[in-house]
Amino acid sequence: MPDTPLALEVRGVTKAFGPIVALNNVSFTLRRGEIHALVGHNGAGKSTLVKALAGVVSPDQGEILVNGTAVTLASARQSQEAGIAVVEQELSLVPALTVLDNILLGRVGAGFRSRRDDRRRVEELMTRLGLADVGPDTVVEDLSMAERQLIEIARALSRDARILILDEPTATLGEREIKRVFAGVRELASAGSSVIFVSHRLGEVLDLCSRVTVFRDGRMIASRPAAEMDRESIVELMLGKVAEKSKVERRGGGAREGLVVIDRLSAPGHVTDFALGVSGGEIVAIAGQVGSGASEVLRALAGLVPDARGRVSIAGRPMRLGAPQRSIRAGAVFASNDRKSEGLFLRQSVARNLLATRLKAVSRGGVLSPGLSASLAQRLAGLIGFDRKRLGAAAETLSGGNQQKVFLGRCLEKEGAALLLFDEPTRGVDVGGRADIHNLIRHAASKGACVIFASTELDEIMDLADTVVTMFAGRITRIGRRRDMTAADILAEMTHGATNRAAA
Amino acid sequence: MTGVDSATNGSAAAGRVAQLNPAAIAVYAFVAILAAGIVFGAFMTPGFLTINNFSAILTSAAFVGIIAVGSTLIMLSGSLFSISLGTTTAVTAILFMFMLHSGVAAAAAVTLLAGTAIFAIQGALVGLIGANPIIVTIGAGAIQEGVIGWLSPGDITPPPGAGIDFLARTIFGLPFSVYVFLGLALVLDLCMRHTRFGLELYLLGENQPAAHAAGLPVALLTTAAFAVAGFCVAVAGVLIAGFAQNVNLQVAGTYTFDAIAAILVGGSAVTGGWGSVGRTVIGALIIATITDMLLLVGASTGMQIFVKGLIVTVVVVLLHLARRERRSP
Repeated sequence: MPDTPLALEVRGVTKAFGPIVALNNVSFTLRRGEIHALVGHNGAGKSTLVKALAGVVSPDQGEILVNGTAVTLASARQSQEAGIAVVEQELSLVPALTVLDNILLGRVGAGFRSRRDDRRRVEELMTRLGLADVGPDTVVEDLSMAERQLIEIARALSRDARILILDEPTATLGEREIKRVFAGVRELASAGSSVIFVSHRLGEVLDLCSRVTVFRDGRMIASRPAAEMDRESIVELMLGKVAEKSKVERRGGGAREGLVVIDRLSAPGHVTDFALGVSGGEIVAIAGQVGSGASEVLRALAGLVPDARGRVSIAGRPMRLGAPQRSIRAGAVFASNDRKSEGLFLRQSVARNLLATRLKAVSRGGVLSPGLSASLAQRLAGLIGFDRKRLGAAAETLSGGNQQKVFLGRCLEKEGAALLLFDEPTRGVDVGGRADIHNLIRHAASKGACVIFASTELDEIMDLADTVVTMFAGRITRIGRRRDMTAADILAEMTHGATNRAAA
Repeated sequence: MTGVDSATNGSAAAGRVAQLNPAAIAVYAFVAILAAGIVFGAFMTPGFLTINNFSAILTSAAFVGIIAVGSTLIMLSGSLFSISLGTTTAVTAILFMFMLHSGVAAAAAVTLLAGTAIFAIQGALVGLIGANPIIVTIGAGAIQEGVIGWLSPGDITPPPGAGIDFLARTIFGLPFSVYVFLGLALVLDLCMRHTRFGLELYLLGENQPAAHAAGLPVALLTTAAFAVAGFCVAVAGVLIAGFAQNVNLQVAGTYTFDAIAAILVGGSAVTGGWGSVGRTVIGALIIATITDMLLLVGASTGMQIFVKGLIVTVVVVLLHLARRERRSP
């Protein structure tokens, strides 16, 4: 539909955060009635563009035109007034309120309208989205995830949004639910609304969208009709050149076959039938996008998913899931992907943070031994390359990289720890810190521990893993030796469509 | 992501300066209040600068202080505070009186055990199922008042020759309760500083999800913190029974507020993880000093409550501002 008028035009937008250029002279056009996919790997700049359109970040350069008129989107309110609505992956509905109340909640400039008018409009909207069977008085917590997603869209539309941005709307949905959301989205587009569909799921992108725009490293790389593209060509565009490092095969020290055996691990709603055997000294990457279940596999093994089920054994001894203390006793140590809220004790000293999980080892009869504490803290500081003079500093005064080293340092060289679980081990860490952390992880593996880490970053996976497990929608899509896989293979598996290839 | 890092680095210096704030402002605030109060009191109040008056301040600090030092463990562990401190103090005082016919030692043992158990149950509810501590302790307070009101309305006096006079005795010019207060404070302060239990309480109060993920025994620690507080409350109950000679549900008056005020004025963080038992001792002394001065100048009960409320509010706001400034970069 090249002749239909432009609903949105982004011209030469640049946005930098400090030294990092998130958007580099990006242009993008969205036609009226179009469903337009925006794809790109981590850090490609998709979410920065979405934030610029939502009025959350202001571009340094460039302009944004809505219906041919230049607009300033300096606040969420201005964005809403320009007819733009963003539906986030994390739903913002209030579960205890009715559908009607949720849709009317926080509406700007509605004035006083009668409840009856509101109700009629809402019913109309819901019929358009295929939700005629859900009454406006239904309480949201009684609805399925897909219905909630559609209510969220209805809310955006009730504010007269003509440009709808869907940010990973399907990450938490099942196949049938996805179909339902897509039907609603198509209905909207045929009524003249324009949709930007941000997704990692290339199968869905090709299924739903008429046009695909690919971002990479803050630049717009290509924008083509979906009919001219397939999965392979999109992956190629997303990836560009990834350095295929011919990494020297690491020698695991005294590999113990099957040190950790995971069988039929499930976390309801997140992970289905995960199975894996890991040898001592082996580093396994679980590669998966947000919502793939990669992170939940680690959390389940760490005992942090109360309803996780499955058989896990470490060194032949079964480990019961569901409580962190049991996992730790069995020899599994976990570092969360969120070091600030689930990792460090920020106002406490670095030494206390390093020792937090092994206070038993540095106390005698319940009384802390200053000598044992100091010597263990110093040994760990040496191991992670942290200045011993700063052991007394509060953890919050450290840089992100050092905080992460301290957090991971807590997990290292722990007596009885056979399985190290690292969720996004280098999140928020600069390049130098990243290399150091990778070396720490390799060192831990070389001492005979199993390491399983979850990552969404291909560089990290290619650099660190011996074995790669790719996950999509809660299931393993492939298990293979890292040296037998290319970055493109991994990305293709991470962005898998509907099919489930058997484990290699 | 690296952008976030460099931003943090950029303000690291500012962060380090601001980091002095909570401790600094809190300390300055005590020193200012205490110094101003004592100077004012010394010059304006006849009879303030006498040995007898200092003994009176310590005596009035003791009961509240005993309750407050125990409750400090609850606050440091991140479970706020108990709203039924005064109620359980009265309940344990009544229980002690009631049990006295079995002998002082047995009565004291039963009372201390009961106070510990009453609080431990509440701690278990908070720690195991994540119940809100304020709601649990309000509910538990109402249950206790109801049971006592139902079983024994009115005052209870000790049986003749019960042998509890020693509880109100004066040793070297100071009442027995003052020694108990200082002794308990010292033990708990050492315990928080130098034992694994103490350090784990700090870590739990600092960041509960992190403590859980790190495998610390969250439910057990919370239960233990409440149990220690319950023990201290029962100690205060026993001492008050010995002091008052007849007890009822009103015997602990405003102790709930006074004990919480002592912890807050001491400057420990309401949200846990930061502060100390020593600070609570200072807080209890400040509150007692000010109450004493207000009494000496003949202020009404309303005036006393007003001033205490004002001090708590000012300190809490100051600490909040100091912490927010530090967190902002």
